Amino acid sequence: MSRRGLPTLWLVAALAVPGLGAPARLPIPAVDAVVAAMLGAPALVDYEGTKVLNAVRGDRAETVTALESYKRLGKLRVEYLSPESVSGRLIVDDGASSWQYEPSYHLVIRGPSFVRPPGNAPQARDVLRGSLAAVLGVEEVIGRQTIVVAMEPRAGGASRRYWVDQATGVVLRMEERDATGEVVFTSFFTRISFGLNLPPALFRFHLPAGARIISLFLSGDPVASPQALRRQARFGSVVPASLPYGYRFRDGAISQYGALVTSAATYTDGVRTLTVFQTPSSKMAFPRVGVPVTLESTDAQLLDLGYVRVLIWQWRGITYALVGSSLPGSAFVLLADEINH
Amino acid sequence: MTHARLQHQLSAYLDGELTPADADEIRTHLVGCAACRETLSRLQHVKSLLQRLPERPVPEELWATIRPRIGTPATPVPAPLREGVRAVFRRPALALAGAVLIVALVAVPLIRGRIERIRAGEIGADFFVREHALLSSEDPFSDRAYLGLLVGDANLALAGTPREESREER
Repeated sequence: MSRRGLPTLWLVAALAVPGLGAPARLPIPAVDAVVAAMLGAPALVDYEGTKVLNAVRGDRAETVTALESYKRLGKLRVEYLSPESVSGRLIVDDGASSWQYEPSYHLVIRGPSFVRPPGNAPQARDVLRGSLAAVLGVEEVIGRQTIVVAMEPRAGGASRRYWVDQATGVVLRMEERDATGEVVFTSFFTRISFGLNLPPALFRFHLPAGARIISLFLSGDPVASPQALRRQARFGSVVPASLPYGYRFRDGAISQYGALVTSAATYTDGVRTLTVFQTPSSKMAFPRVGVPVTLESTDAQLLDLGYVRVLIWQWRGITYALVGSSLPGSAFVLLADEINH
Repeated sequence: MTHARLQHQLSAYLDGELTPADADEIRTHLVGCAACRETLSRLQHVKSLLQRLPERPVPEELWATIRPRIGTPATPVPAPLREGVRAVFRRPALALAGAVLIVALVAVPLIRGRIERIRAGEIGADFFVREHALLSSEDPFSDRAYLGLLVGDANLALAGTPREESREER
């Protein structure tokens, strides 16, 4: 099918979803305005709420409940309530580093921050370049007016829907469907309170007395080109001859944990990240995880964590791992074959 | 005991050093834990390799050399280097000790390298997921609570204390 025909077909299908055709109570904004509001929300408002996450992992689903608090600019606190295996876990991220406390082990793990500054106009353009996006309508979520936005990656694979709070731009609900239309991940607030000044003390980590501390800063400074990454890696760092549609090289880094040294090349379509890890096989036994998959030239293992998929294989003395979300398993296999060529 | 703690006891279990109650607990855990069964099988393999190493008899003259020295004052100031080396090779016990030291210097890095490679294989997938999740935080609409969950689980695995499934997740 031609690329011009695909968006039209997709929009027709998206608009045909039952329940979304109801008359809107507020004028529906343009999709680029909604995307800009979503990107700008982290600079606009603080919030605290209860969030429920559902992820399909292989043949089972996992439901996680957490208290999530956010303070401008880039401070995050997440307390996990259930299931039992994560109950009590606390993550405090001050925008520079993150602290994880595990009460069952009385253990604190310190690592890099995973909260990023609010997005900007070029990032909004990237999002719209990498995805087919459309506003589907207006819906009420936990008593608030939301704009429903659908995004489908131009490269194919899982599509997402966002329920964006009309007043603040905060995503109150998110849903990801795989290529067959089955929901594989949902995230939604069951309660949320907005504020303009949550107490800073909530976002400071207080070390529990006697807790063991481990520091896990494993990545070096990022480099801006595949060539620079190859120079740093020393063991070579192969770049795929072609990438899924819309993806481009973002950055790379060398990561190290003990004797395990890897190069990590990151690619993005503006919305999602795809990472190619490479490490000498002499330094790492082949991980026996996931299910066997056949590539053109060798065998591989595919680990499906729902939101994230990992494809691992060995080829000519290098162990490769391809990690990404939303791309179908078949796209992983194609990319792996590209790398082996 | 948790999975991680039981795993640390496997070597002692194999050597029969645990109390009967602890050993029973390990046996029960092994029935339901494939990862621990695999670790145990690897340990058994290493142990059987070590048992297959030939035993070196201690030279008879070793004790005869050591006995008269017990209770005597320390040896005088060492001779020049060349003399020292000759002295070493005149005494078989010292030569043997030197050979053992040299073998150890070669073997230890080799064994350590193999162990590190196996360990890297065990934590490899968690390492990749963690680093990818951290890189994904650049995605404009990534769910931070879920990223925290992925990073948190992988952190625990790297720290040697992986998250155990609770009954409600199975």
